[in-house]
Amino acid sequence: MLRDDFLQELSALVGQTNQQICVIDGPRTVKCQVLQCDPLGAAISNLALETGELVSADIAKLETASKSLCGRVTYLLEPISPIEIDATGCVVQMRSNPPQKDDNGLKYYELTLRQGGSVSLTRYEKQPGNSRLPVPATLTHEVLGRLVEDFNIAVEEVLSS
Amino acid sequence: MVMDIQRDQRRFKQIVRGRIRQNLRKYITHGEMIGRRGRDAVSIPVPQLDVPHFKYGKNGSGGVGQGKGEIGDPLTQPGQEGDGAGGAGSEPGTGHLVEVEVSLNELAEMLGEELELPRIQPKGTANIESEKAKYNSIRQTGPESLKHFKKTYLRALKRQITTGNYAPEDPCIVPVKGDKQYRSWNDVPLPEVNAVAIYLMDVSGSMTDEQKNIVRNEAFWIDAWLTHQYRGIETRYIIHDAVAKEVDEHTFYHTRESGGTRISSAYKVCADLIASTFPSEDWNIYCFQFSDGDNWGDDNRIAFELLSQKLLPVVNAFCYGQVESPYGSGDFIDSLRKEFNDHEALILSEIPDKDAIYQSIKTFLGKGK
Repeated sequence: MLRDDFLQELSALVGQTNQQICVIDGPRTVKCQVLQCDPLGAAISNLALETGELVSADIAKLETASKSLCGRVTYLLEPISPIEIDATGCVVQMRSNPPQKDDNGLKYYELTLRQGGSVSLTRYEKQPGNSRLPVPATLTHEVLGRLVEDFNIAVEEVLSS
Repeated sequence: MVMDIQRDQRRFKQIVRGRIRQNLRKYITHGEMIGRRGRDAVSIPVPQLDVPHFKYGKNGSGGVGQGKGEIGDPLTQPGQEGDGAGGAGSEPGTGHLVEVEVSLNELAEMLGEELELPRIQPKGTANIESEKAKYNSIRQTGPESLKHFKKTYLRALKRQITTGNYAPEDPCIVPVKGDKQYRSWNDVPLPEVNAVAIYLMDVSGSMTDEQKNIVRNEAFWIDAWLTHQYRGIETRYIIHDAVAKEVDEHTFYHTRESGGTRISSAYKVCADLIASTFPSEDWNIYCFQFSDGDNWGDDNRIAFELLSQKLLPVVNAFCYGQVESPYGSGDFIDSLRKEFNDHEALILSEIPDKDAIYQSIKTFLGKGK
């Protein structure tokens, strides 16, 4: 449901720039900042699924769900794996592992799964001598739809475990 | 008078030390010495060190200086007939690697010489030696509780014998006031331990094994140098991810964790440790923190508060070394630069790879604080 609604909203944005998508399904909301959209793909700055259902999720459940999420999200530019598991803040941070390296520095996806809660994705770039900066992630509509679906499954897994 | 053999031996040692110094960077950047302590000897292979020895010639082949010839004629080797060409040998060479045993203290000293590290000038009670009472003498006066019975009765016995008051058949000895002997003490000076090095290491999930090895290697050599500088230096170790704890040396050098990064947790443990155990009036305090600088959320603000209020005012030097994260995401060092612009106690160093350890040590210790 979320996935279909999201893709429908995305299709409606073809040819537009700097638009926000917000799709709600019960307690879950998918938000996406679309920088540019064409019929095949879109450049986004952030994709997040927010929900209040994870308010009582503990770090063990988040860790299990994050591993499962990393196992499913195999269709991005780099494989993803959990990097830091913060028991204090109840957050699991996942990143491209290894990150993409070239002459201009490196780029990587960063996903976070938080108690409270949310699942989100941002792409970062780090150029030599500069701090890291969020950069647009260019993904096809199909990949964005799959990400929404996998974020939804991750929330389900936390709730069911 | 120095005998020739001593002079030769000294020269041999100088040559060995020179060879080691040439390769010192290599020994510092590889980590196999971690875990050895000050007095442990390290075997270091020193290549191409020719030990002089006698060689015997062939019997009956004459010798240099024999036969016909005029003054000024060039000499040929015995048995050599004019020019000739020889091919390269096909057997492997028999080059020798001399294994030299050097203690870590000597290596630390060489490190100091090579990096031109100044001797650290201790502060506070550096030159004060505490005195401990040791009961090792006898006096004629003192409290009854310290009366030395054996010596008192022995003295009384001597007095009775010399004055003819001692009857062997009725051995009754009665000490008088002048016989009494009392235990007494002397003050023995004891050097006071007055320096502590506190190592803080980020062991969070974003620190890869390679980064942790760089950090451990640098911490090890700094420890070796400081131990060489301060006899009896105290060393404490703190590791942290999102939570910090004080650990022993072995745990510090071998822990693997995967948690998040909250640098403030380490600062808090460090500040508590200093407040409870190492008052700054009596101690020279050196902190060495290593991280990839990938701190989480708003933790920088809490960390800076602790650093400015509880750590920087009490330490001789607070050294922060930032290793390059594989994600390059660490910006804690930049934030430190902005927040504590040129604070005299704060020393910052970036360590992109293991070859940078050498320069980083120099940055940290080169000021000799």
